[in-house]
Amino acid sequence: MATPAALPPLPFNPSRVRSYVLRLPLFTRLVLLAILVFWLLELQTVWSVVQWGSVIPEEINIGTMYRLNTYPFIHVGFFHAFLNLLALTPLLERFEAEHGTLTAVALFFGPLSTFPAGAYVLFEKFVLHRNTAVVGASVWVFLLLGSEAIRTFKSNPYFSLGPYKIPTWTSPLFACGLVSILVPNTSLLGHLCAIFVGYLFGLGFLKVFVPPEKVLRWIEGKLNLLGRLPHYVSVDQKTYGRYGVLPTTTAGGERATPMSYLGSSQRLAAIRNLRTNPHFLFVHLPRILSLVCIIAGVVWLLLLPLNDYSRQTYISENALLPGQVHAYFSGSEQHIFRGYKKELEAILEGQTPSGQESRNEEYTPAVSEKIQSVLRAAGLKVATQKYEYTSSGITHQGQNVYAIIQAPRGDATEAIVLVAAWKTVDDDLNLNGVSLALTLAGYFKRWSLWSKDIIFLFPPDSKTGTQAWIDAYHDMQPAFVQPLPLKSGALQGGLVIEYSFDHRFESLHILYDGVNGQLPNLDLFNTAVSIAGGQMGIGSNLQEMWDHNDSYEMRLQTIMRGMVKQGFGYATGPHSSFMPYHIDAITLQAKGDGWQDEMALGRTIEGLCRSLNNLLEHLHQSFFFYLLMQANRFVSIGTYLPSAMLIAGNFTIMAIALWLRTGYYTGSKQNPARPPANAEETSLRAAALTEKLDANTAQSAVTPDSNSVIERKLALPLTLVVGLHLLGLVPLYIFNNINHQYYSTATYASIGVNAILPIVLAASLTRGLTTPRDQPQLSLLIKSFSLLVLGLFLSTLATLNFSLSFMVGLLCTPLSFVNRIDPHTTSRPIRTVLSVLGLVFLNVLSPPVVLLVACSYFGTDVQTVLTQAAFGWDVWGMWTQVVVWCVWWPAWVTGCALLGFSLF
Amino acid sequence: MGVDRRKAAVFGGAFVLRLLLLVLFPSLPDLLTGRVEVSTPVTSFKRLQEGLFLYTRNVSPYDGGVFHQAPLLLPIFSLLPSSQGFPLPTVVLYSLIDLLNANALITISESGWAVSGRSYSAIRKHIRWDGVTIAACFLFNPFTIATCLGRSTAVFTSAGILHAISSAVTGKAFNSMLALGFASYLSIYPALLFMPLMLLCYDQRAQTAQTFPSTTVFALQHLAVFLLSIAGLLGVSALLIGDFRAFLSATYGFQLLVPDLTPNVGLWWYFFIEIFDSFREFFLGVFWLHLASYMGGLTIRLRRQPLFVLSSLLGIFAVFKPYPSISDASLYFALLPLYRHLFPLMRYTFFAVSALLYATLLGPAFYHLWIYAGSGNANFFYAITLVWSLGLSILLADTIFAALRDEWEYDNPDVRGKDVKQV
Repeated sequence: MATPAALPPLPFNPSRVRSYVLRLPLFTRLVLLAILVFWLLELQTVWSVVQWGSVIPEEINIGTMYRLNTYPFIHVGFFHAFLNLLALTPLLERFEAEHGTLTAVALFFGPLSTFPAGAYVLFEKFVLHRNTAVVGASVWVFLLLGSEAIRTFKSNPYFSLGPYKIPTWTSPLFACGLVSILVPNTSLLGHLCAIFVGYLFGLGFLKVFVPPEKVLRWIEGKLNLLGRLPHYVSVDQKTYGRYGVLPTTTAGGERATPMSYLGSSQRLAAIRNLRTNPHFLFVHLPRILSLVCIIAGVVWLLLLPLNDYSRQTYISENALLPGQVHAYFSGSEQHIFRGYKKELEAILEGQTPSGQESRNEEYTPAVSEKIQSVLRAAGLKVATQKYEYTSSGITHQGQNVYAIIQAPRGDATEAIVLVAAWKTVDDDLNLNGVSLALTLAGYFKRWSLWSKDIIFLFPPDSKTGTQAWIDAYHDMQPAFVQPLPLKSGALQGGLVIEYSFDHRFESLHILYDGVNGQLPNLDLFNTAVSIAGGQMGIGSNLQEMWDHNDSYEMRLQTIMRGMVKQGFGYATGPHSSFMPYHIDAITLQAKGDGWQDEMALGRTIEGLCRSLNNLLEHLHQSFFFYLLMQANRFVSIGTYLPSAMLIAGNFTIMAIALWLRTGYYTGSKQNPARPPANAEETSLRAAALTEKLDANTAQSAVTPDSNSVIERKLALPLTLVVGLHLLGLVPLYIFNNINHQYYSTATYASIGVNAILPIVLAASLTRGLTTPRDQPQLSLLIKSFSLLVLGLFLSTLATLNFSLSFMVGLLCTPLSFVNRIDPHTTSRPIRTVLSVLGLVFLNVLSPPVVLLVACSYFGTDVQTVLTQAAFGWDVWGMWTQVVVWCVWWPAWVTGCALLGFSLF
Repeated sequence: MGVDRRKAAVFGGAFVLRLLLLVLFPSLPDLLTGRVEVSTPVTSFKRLQEGLFLYTRNVSPYDGGVFHQAPLLLPIFSLLPSSQGFPLPTVVLYSLIDLLNANALITISESGWAVSGRSYSAIRKHIRWDGVTIAACFLFNPFTIATCLGRSTAVFTSAGILHAISSAVTGKAFNSMLALGFASYLSIYPALLFMPLMLLCYDQRAQTAQTFPSTTVFALQHLAVFLLSIAGLLGVSALLIGDFRAFLSATYGFQLLVPDLTPNVGLWWYFFIEIFDSFREFFLGVFWLHLASYMGGLTIRLRRQPLFVLSSLLGIFAVFKPYPSISDASLYFALLPLYRHLFPLMRYTFFAVSALLYATLLGPAFYHLWIYAGSGNANFFYAITLVWSLGLSILLADTIFAALRDEWEYDNPDVRGKDVKQV
């Protein structure tokens, strides 16, 4: 093998086809043209070309002998002509190139068309006594195949299939049989005659019909054909004269570079130069592609808020019928509401020690008792559940109260949940919400139209209560959570009511993010928006965008806020705990200062419950993956997923490119001369091979492997990458299990460890474990595997939690481009400066530093965030940390270690 | 003679790793047992438990239509304490079987049949791994570990196949046929390996004894041993299970007619869910014919490398079986390192491995989206099983290409090192 330079060439190269067509010799062109012309002539109806020119045994006489020459040009129908053209072109071209144009003319207008036709007529008419007409160039195809087969037979007599040896000259017969089986209306006899004549020709019996070379030369000289006719093949310059090696005769394994382009332009030449330039192919192209992927991914996301890429929301599930029923919750119910509120307030007053400024708003047993007694008085079945969670050394405990309205028209197989937590998400007292839920309980109990049970749940807070309850509802509770004494059917939907102030409200704020970025069915959200807006005239907000003016910036900001929440994967409200059990739930928060009162909220809830009550099956029609940019505008997964996939794809592209680079291409400088180490290695191996082979002389010069793939040493890179990913379990364990007061210390400690670990790793790899000549390949392979794993995880993650995948991918993008700086091209001081700068830059993007920066940006405390994260891990089953420590962090350490290599 | 240190370390390490995983994550075995990628209706440990429960209460284990495995497993497992209370003994048993399999792999590797046979010897035979490395590849393969902890009964079939091969390469043709009979008794498909295995035995005999036993007699003898071993096992089963017909239809009938379309990593379930019932029999025939047809073709074409035929067939079974699981893939991956000398000739390793890795990660993710989150559907998972099968097929085609290329270079010494293209 000459150069290990280029990639294995493409199997199909359009430019080669082009140059092949351009180089077709004269007679072949004329024949093809004639076939085309005759096919066009057949399109008219006046004169039947087929009738005129085909070989019809009965019609052959002295006057119609022309038929014996015209029939190969005539075809019936387009496909007949087209297939024959395809088959004939390479065969005829080869024939003409070998024998010259004049000989081809003489033979094909003479014996090679008349003999098969004659044989066919004789056989058909006098032996079979039939009269089947034949047309088409397939005669020539099989004739040429026959002669080729004889030639192959001479050089390569047998084709072995296991122990059986099949003579190669039979191959046209097989082809003929296959064609007659597969293609209807073919003349087996005609083809056989053609093959027979082809055999005769191949065996040399028809030599007498070839015009003597002297005559040809004379004609050629007299007429100066070579000068006058383009693409003419002279007698002298037959096979290897003018065109070099013809593509039909493959010359061994020598892969020539793409043949010179006839009439090549500058542009083509430039492209070809790039194609054959290995440094461009292996080093620059992947970088460009990766960069393009990243930019395209980000731009894609930025395009989403535009009208062309987002859609108006709509209700998919017809059974929901939002706002189609009249809501009766009004009038006297308001007095009941006020009564409950007064009673609860009285308890709160009572449990506050005198002289204290603010009320004691704790959820005491007295409150719990009150709620239970109200529910019992309304005629509901009531039960309680105690729970206790411990996370980061903090204990969370409480008691859930819940009650069930058994459906008058149902069989307790399905249920809807209404939740009113004593404390809202923001830790405010949800007095109005709880009173409203109590009122609704009594009100719903009186209705007879429920076909699903309705469960009223009163957890003491928004973080733990619903989680404990829903776990126990599905018998999945941990040890410190009591099982539920009372249960109902499969939960179809959940609504959380929050109304935490005493004045009237302006709009509803809808929370919809679940744990780990799971979202409720879009239909539920749409129903809430359409009932609130369409029936009650209450506006809806989302993602805390209070004054959304539908501009591009506002839409983008909404999407971004949604993505951040989704990416962190924490529970945004009591509804979030429902999502992992495939129960769609949302939280409705009353917000702002307006003229809507608690009755309007109650009617909204009533309308929503009526809609959910209508459901015939679980919500499934609409989207589960979406990004909302406004209460009535969204993008679905098909539109937004490509952006995360492009980001993840950039790592995979780089990984594949690096893999190829380690195998086929050794570096910028070592071309064409291989690096000495490698040459030594190959010659060693070649020597080893020649030793084994029994004195095979032709061997020693060439490299042994067919594609000249350089052997890769995989053990160390694989161990390193897998080991680092497993090492991620250590910080994962630490950050989820230490006491909450040590979290800031642990963060700073991990920043320190992160700064040192890659350098230690690089030092031990360069000094201890490897020899210098392995290092370029080693660093490339480590990077390749690390990026492959990163791309793999991120694209999987994109299907589960798009936002997290996108954010981690974006933070990891520099890892595609950092590499060990080549010691051959860069001098030591520059190398040191560059790598130190790179390390500083990467350290800014390390997981703990990003956490610190994000905390200071959002104005929160690291300890709070990490306590919350550990709580999420312990209670909600959140796995954002796993992604950070077992996917992002190992990739980051690998990237830093690669830069660290350059220091040594 | 001291035990080889490295071998002891690898075996001990693998054993300890399995026990450690059980101790550290006590819920892991049950989790894996429930995964469709690990347990199929014909190998599931859960279903075995059900059969065992019925069996120990003197009810036919095939009542209720849950248990579809060979009855001989029942007395073995009834000796072990209940896996619910004491998971350790079961895992120890499975780990020991893994170690036995690894030992068989070492025997196969050390016999050198992978690189040189009676009438053929690979060009690059000096590039190879030793037996312990190959055993380590098998024992530390995550798929093997998952199968072991998932306690899929496919490991017994694997053990039968691997011991059949290892006996064949060491000249114990009789044992080999018995082991293959055992494997075929457990799950029918290993019977398709009879032809290449018999050829391997024949080559081994011819090479060592330097006498050429009559092919026909040899084949008939071994066929008889093979059939008798199956008949013997069936006889014992008949003693155990009263209703012989019910047993046959619940086990072999179940494997052949594929009535249970629980999702798995294979290609059958989705197709047979979609197909109209009137075409079911026809396509059942087509699918089985397709699976069986590889046996003849590969055996004839690669007559000189019967061990390679066996390995490739196992890979093909891992793709085209009615109830494949990752244990079949792990068996194929166990034999693949024997062909280290073919690796330099393979061209799409990286892409195939990437496809397999993608499928390994995305499969559980999409299954989760389909079954638990409810936000995906069956097509998600099926698409990934297609990718999985594609990855395996690329790997298979690539190894077969490499083997043929090696053979071709052996036959044509003048083309060594030249470029070649597959058309």
